[in-house]
Amino acid sequence: MFKQHISTALVHIRRSPYQAIAAIAIMTLTFFAATTFALVAYVLSVTINYFETRPQIIAFLKNDATPAEVSNLTQKTVQDTRVKGEVRYVSHEEAFRIFKDTTDNPLATELVPADVLPASLEFSVSDLSFAQEVIDEFKKEKIVERVEFTGSLGGEANASQVIKNLQKVTSYTRIGGATLLLFLSFTAILTLLIVIGMRVSVRREEINVLTLMGATPAFVRLPFLFEGIIYAAAGAFSGFLIATLLILYLIPNIKFYFGEIPVIPEQILDIGLYFGALLLIEIVAAIVVGLAGAWFAISRYLKI
Amino acid sequence: MITFKNVTKRFGLITALTEVSLGVEKGDFAFITGPSGSGKTTIIRLILRDLTPTSGEIIFADRNLAKLDKSQLPFYRRQIGCVFQDLKLLGDRTIGENIALTLAISGVSQERQRIRAKEALSYVGLDTRIDSFPSQLAGGELQRAVIARSIIHDPKLILADEPTGNLDPGTAWEIVQLLAKINKDGTTVLMATHNREIVDKMKKHVIELKKGKIVRDRESGKYEND
Repeated sequence: MFKQHISTALVHIRRSPYQAIAAIAIMTLTFFAATTFALVAYVLSVTINYFETRPQIIAFLKNDATPAEVSNLTQKTVQDTRVKGEVRYVSHEEAFRIFKDTTDNPLATELVPADVLPASLEFSVSDLSFAQEVIDEFKKEKIVERVEFTGSLGGEANASQVIKNLQKVTSYTRIGGATLLLFLSFTAILTLLIVIGMRVSVRREEINVLTLMGATPAFVRLPFLFEGIIYAAAGAFSGFLIATLLILYLIPNIKFYFGEIPVIPEQILDIGLYFGALLLIEIVAAIVVGLAGAWFAISRYLKI
Repeated sequence: MITFKNVTKRFGLITALTEVSLGVEKGDFAFITGPSGSGKTTIIRLILRDLTPTSGEIIFADRNLAKLDKSQLPFYRRQIGCVFQDLKLLGDRTIGENIALTLAISGVSQERQRIRAKEALSYVGLDTRIDSFPSQLAGGELQRAVIARSIIHDPKLILADEPTGNLDPGTAWEIVQLLAKINKDGTTVLMATHNREIVDKMKKHVIELKKGKIVRDRESGKYEND
């Protein structure tokens, strides 16, 4: 039975292709924006998670700090509830090794002694809002030379400014993205309402005949509902495809920009799973949007 | 099979039917006659429940139509086959698809629809036209197609509203003969017409209307006074 209604819907679409194209184009735009927004939200989430889990605070220790003093400070830091995860001690030698690995000037590593770089304690806080107070406390420790915050954004070295910037960007992206999506969804539903409303008007005589012959309201309505779903699903798929191809094309640029922040999963399977899940969600959303638009049109224009 | 008991129908200030009482038995072939505006089509639409009476009762197969609720209406209408004067064939579908629409509505499979469509078209003499479009058929052929659509689902009653209105006398007679054949096979036929010649020739049950009132209800006989 559904096969017949879908077939009827496809016949309607074939007979008025330009209306169909207009409806699908609006859906494509909506779901292109949705896919892009979803990916931006994902990237932001990964970025924030990266800063939250990476050693955000590095407390450089004075050269005359004794092992006992370092051990005490390490213990104290581990027991601090504001500190998340591991507290890592980086010795002079290890610091030198890291410097050697990251520098592209081999001559520099030959000329400096191994103990020129200070030892340090590296750790993260459970919430970025704690960072500033923790930094201020560490600065007062006897064996601490200086404290650095690694989560730098927009040139701001001050922890509270960085935190605010990150939170602001996330907040604006979420609000802006959600507003844009809401507006586009409204436009999409309105477009469907108009297109399907026109279909109903054009087929009024046919609907009258069907009703007199004993068609139930469901029999009359279902092809229009399926039509709405087809427009929305086609738009969702094409919007998703365009956005995905664009992002895949930009992957090298994205990886370069974000550096070591793993915004793009390494495993192909993970990428596939993420995009697969996103497509599934968008198809479901498309069905909802398609049904909503078609239902409003039927309620407005079809009186049976 | 059909009983009208003091049925009145008003459209605002206009009274289309005034206390009409009539009866059509099962297996009957009845004409509803009268000049234009006498209420013939109103009776047809009342039986189809496209309209409801202002007062009075309409009984169809022991069911009071006034008590039918909206959900039962489609299933009631599937007991009736309709032949409209303006045909109401869908121009963008083939004759076969038009005929089979009645079965499609009832959820019959497409394969079965096609088989029954062929049978119905063969019955009315249009078996070679199943894949033609309405625009490719002549007036008489179109009316035959409409009749095929009205019988494909074996209805209890055929309602024909001026089926010969746009046809020449020869073709009109063929159409009425086809309806008579359907009636002979057991289906009740109720035909609205103002064609006196056909009514006289057929010698069937005649219900004559004038200005919304029944002026004659003869089981058989002529349109005019004997």
